Amino acid sequence: MKNKSYFSSIQPTIILGVLSIALTACGGGGSNETKSVVTPTPEPIVDHSGLSPLINNTVDPKEHLPGGDATVFKNNEDAFSTRPKMIADNFKLDGFFTSGDHLFRTPDRDIGPMLSTGSCQGCHINDGRGNIPASPTAPMLSMLLKLGNNTGAADPIYGDQLQPFAVQSFKTPDFSSGISIHDGSINGTELYGEAFPFIVYETINGTYPDGTSYELRNPIYKIKNLSFGLFMENIRFSVRIAPQAFGVGLLDAIPAANIISLADENDTDGNDISGRASMALDVFSGETKLGRFAYKAQNTSVLQQVAGAYGGDIGISNSIFPNESCTEQQQACQMAADQESKVGSEHDFSDKNLALVEFYNRTLGVPARRGFDKNNSTWDENIIAGRKLFFDTQCVDCHTPRHVTGEAKGSVLGKLTLTGLEENAEPIAMLSEQTIFPYTDLLLHDMGGSCVVTRETDIGDSCTTGAECMYVQRCDGLADGLIQGDASGSEWKTPALWGIGLVKTVNPKATFLHDGRARTIEEAILWHDGEAESRKEAFMALSQEERQQLIDFVESL
Amino acid sequence: MNFNLKKVSVALLMACSLTACVDDGDDGQAGITGENGANGTNGVSTFVTRDDVLKTNANIAYAAYSDSLIAAQSLRTAITTFVALPNEINMKAAKKAWIDSREPYGQTEVYRFRVGPIDALKDDGTIGEEGDGPEGKINAWPLGEAIIDYVAVEVDGDSGPETPANALANNIIANTTDFPTIDAASIAGAFEHGEDERNVTTGYHAVEFLLWGQDLNTDLAGAGTRDSSGGQRPVTDYALDGTCTSGAGNTVTPTTCTRRGQYLTAVADLLIADLEPIVNAWEPVTGTHYKAFITGGDVSLAKILEGMGRLSFGELAGERINIALTTDSQEDEHSCFSDNTHRDIFLNAKGVQNTFNAQYTRIDGEVISGASIYDLLVVGGDHELANSLRGSLEATMSAAAVVDTKAKTGTPFDVLIQEGIEQPNVVAVIKALVKQTDEIEQAIDALGVSAGDIRQDTEEDI
Repeated sequence: MKNKSYFSSIQPTIILGVLSIALTACGGGGSNETKSVVTPTPEPIVDHSGLSPLINNTVDPKEHLPGGDATVFKNNEDAFSTRPKMIADNFKLDGFFTSGDHLFRTPDRDIGPMLSTGSCQGCHINDGRGNIPASPTAPMLSMLLKLGNNTGAADPIYGDQLQPFAVQSFKTPDFSSGISIHDGSINGTELYGEAFPFIVYETINGTYPDGTSYELRNPIYKIKNLSFGLFMENIRFSVRIAPQAFGVGLLDAIPAANIISLADENDTDGNDISGRASMALDVFSGETKLGRFAYKAQNTSVLQQVAGAYGGDIGISNSIFPNESCTEQQQACQMAADQESKVGSEHDFSDKNLALVEFYNRTLGVPARRGFDKNNSTWDENIIAGRKLFFDTQCVDCHTPRHVTGEAKGSVLGKLTLTGLEENAEPIAMLSEQTIFPYTDLLLHDMGGSCVVTRETDIGDSCTTGAECMYVQRCDGLADGLIQGDASGSEWKTPALWGIGLVKTVNPKATFLHDGRARTIEEAILWHDGEAESRKEAFMALSQEERQQLIDFVESL
Repeated sequence: MNFNLKKVSVALLMACSLTACVDDGDDGQAGITGENGANGTNGVSTFVTRDDVLKTNANIAYAAYSDSLIAAQSLRTAITTFVALPNEINMKAAKKAWIDSREPYGQTEVYRFRVGPIDALKDDGTIGEEGDGPEGKINAWPLGEAIIDYVAVEVDGDSGPETPANALANNIIANTTDFPTIDAASIAGAFEHGEDERNVTTGYHAVEFLLWGQDLNTDLAGAGTRDSSGGQRPVTDYALDGTCTSGAGNTVTPTTCTRRGQYLTAVADLLIADLEPIVNAWEPVTGTHYKAFITGGDVSLAKILEGMGRLSFGELAGERINIALTTDSQEDEHSCFSDNTHRDIFLNAKGVQNTFNAQYTRIDGEVISGASIYDLLVVGGDHELANSLRGSLEATMSAAAVVDTKAKTGTPFDVLIQEGIEQPNVVAVIKALVKQTDEIEQAIDALGVSAGDIRQDTEEDI
């Protein structure tokens, strides 16, 4: 990185501004050149946003309002599904939010033919995180499984995502009727889910330098009962749990240059951290833009993320992703797709409805921090101590605490009205020009590890074919082995940490990290490796009390 | 003098004569060179104050919620009769009682979205925040019908929970293992099972489903052409002899019919139990919310307008009409089992008009009326806005009356929405509601209140 997010270099415009002031300030008509030497002004230290850097022992006066005007004051199960006051106070915006919410939680008529779940809320439980299956025999209901080979190419039969269910699982009382059957859909007429993925865990034991022991669970992904035949050679699997949905409108509004200025691909500052910007195709402009959404930052906007989820996860075609959730080689799926009703347009979902769901996602509020006493504007001392440790152990090198947003433009689909979309969508004031505290740099970082895929039977014997022959992916570390856009098989986007302390309040079964392997925030920290190894070691070297303070701080976010 | 008596009401003259009017021209001595008289109020009493408006609004709330409770008790009586003697006549009477019960309740919904008892009344009798009240238990939709009773494979929309992980094994009526007893407690316990908002097991729509059954359309399987009838539940679904069915022709054990009757009775009891505290909170003089509301000043006035605006736009035009229209889904239709959605639309809109005009006709015919927001606008000098908003509300009612009439003459709402996003009768209601919302916003400005002030969205909660 050419800078470290806070004690950073100066933005060029600011340097210019300072210089021009210095020059004009020397006045005097210029007759005496020798005396007009400019005293070197100390470079003002500003961060990537042009603000005074945050420091380890002083809390910014705005830090308790992480979402700026989009902050909401709920710390119960509604913490991630609440409309900010600026939305509630405007009848129209309130109405669009309500409609978007309805669409978000209600299964559409034309879901499928193959899908991962039936509605947005099916994965984003209570607008929060999904669940890992309760057992190896329970189906994956709020997770995704991405597919690709060792070069990142999609599977010619299965595509780039595995849909475990066929539509009848969600549209008939018989949930099991759409679960995959070995070679069940090869005949081209009967449709089942593509395969049955499940996770088994092996235990990893470790010890802190102070002797305290800990236990992690390392997931092994297994895929059985492929309905459409074998996967391609060198297949890789990336299992991902649905993240909490709020706050994305603010992240969308951070100027791309501010994010890109944090990148340090070759680690020129030698701090071990070499964040890379994920540059991805923006489906609307056709241009390459900064990716910031999804676990590998492959999506450039909230709308692209939403439309992609409708297409890939739920099987709802739309103008942005017009294909049904079938590849050309999946005849049984294509036949089922032809039966869908496609209300009012050639796609399953109209642009107006898409824009409503986009609006809902962009405007979901960010919960206020806990541990702050508003009456006398003081913080819990434990939280202050944890904050200092979070800074001192340099977690902030990737989990960049603060950003500012620019203008949050209206939807590229158009201005919302109840009867249709119109030209010239207005910017969303609540999301514009805000100081926010998401604790992410939105960059890709190599978190270490690698993966191996084998073919095995239930009891671990090697195999090549047959109904009993499963695909098994074992990884060490956080790697998933899947190349996606700019991201390698061991790179991940730094996830935002805001609201993380309320994850289990919103969904008591929720867990952490991209595949839900970490049962606690402490476990999530201990999984950090690769670029973050030294930070993890710094955390581990803390005393037990200090570790708890740091975790308490993270819980207060 | 330029003295136009028509513009000056008697009330104004009285007001002037009582106060120290200097020369407002009423003696006429200055002739046409005298000062112009003040604008009159077109027959509206200048004594109308904000607090009068609050009192009338509270009195109508009490009347409308009382009517809802009275009608729910009549519904319970009809259900008792039907369950004891399940014949066609008694089933028809129970259905009629349900339709009747919706008439006052639909007009109360303008009291939602304003941190009032329906949305915010806590079990301890205090007002909390939106979501603490019994609204969801009373009127949530879409219903989770698949967890209550048998359902057809597919009826234009999904009736299941957000995720099958939240599904209850079997349905409550058939599931004698997990629900050995069906009573108010067991049904209420299953409400939002798994924290899933789609698992709705109580309220008006549960009663509706148990009386009508799913609207299965012409093929009786749910997938065919939509017809002009509501649900097709046969009376034998309640037969206490050996003819008990779960759907026409599907004979099942009599226990199932007994349990279905127990569910219907218990859910009607719950409806009454959930409505009672709302009525109590609005009871004139003694009701906790009544007292707080009528002394609440501008905040209370803002609440009235907030309820009008949010019901008009977000709930009615948006979620209840437009979503059903754009998804063309019977599941997104408010009263999808009885095909009574046209009344929901009409009565919700009527509630907004009632509020503006401060007039409500009780189920026994008594008319309650008093000081209105219309009056307040006129007194404040906003005659044009008062008149324009009155006209907009009337235009909405006339558009809603078209949908109402179409339904009563054989084209119910679920058929009207079928043409996708082009259906003009339905779109007309949406557009009228959007226009009235604009003018409600103007009224908020004109009256100098801020709708936002009613939400105590502060950091105190944290």
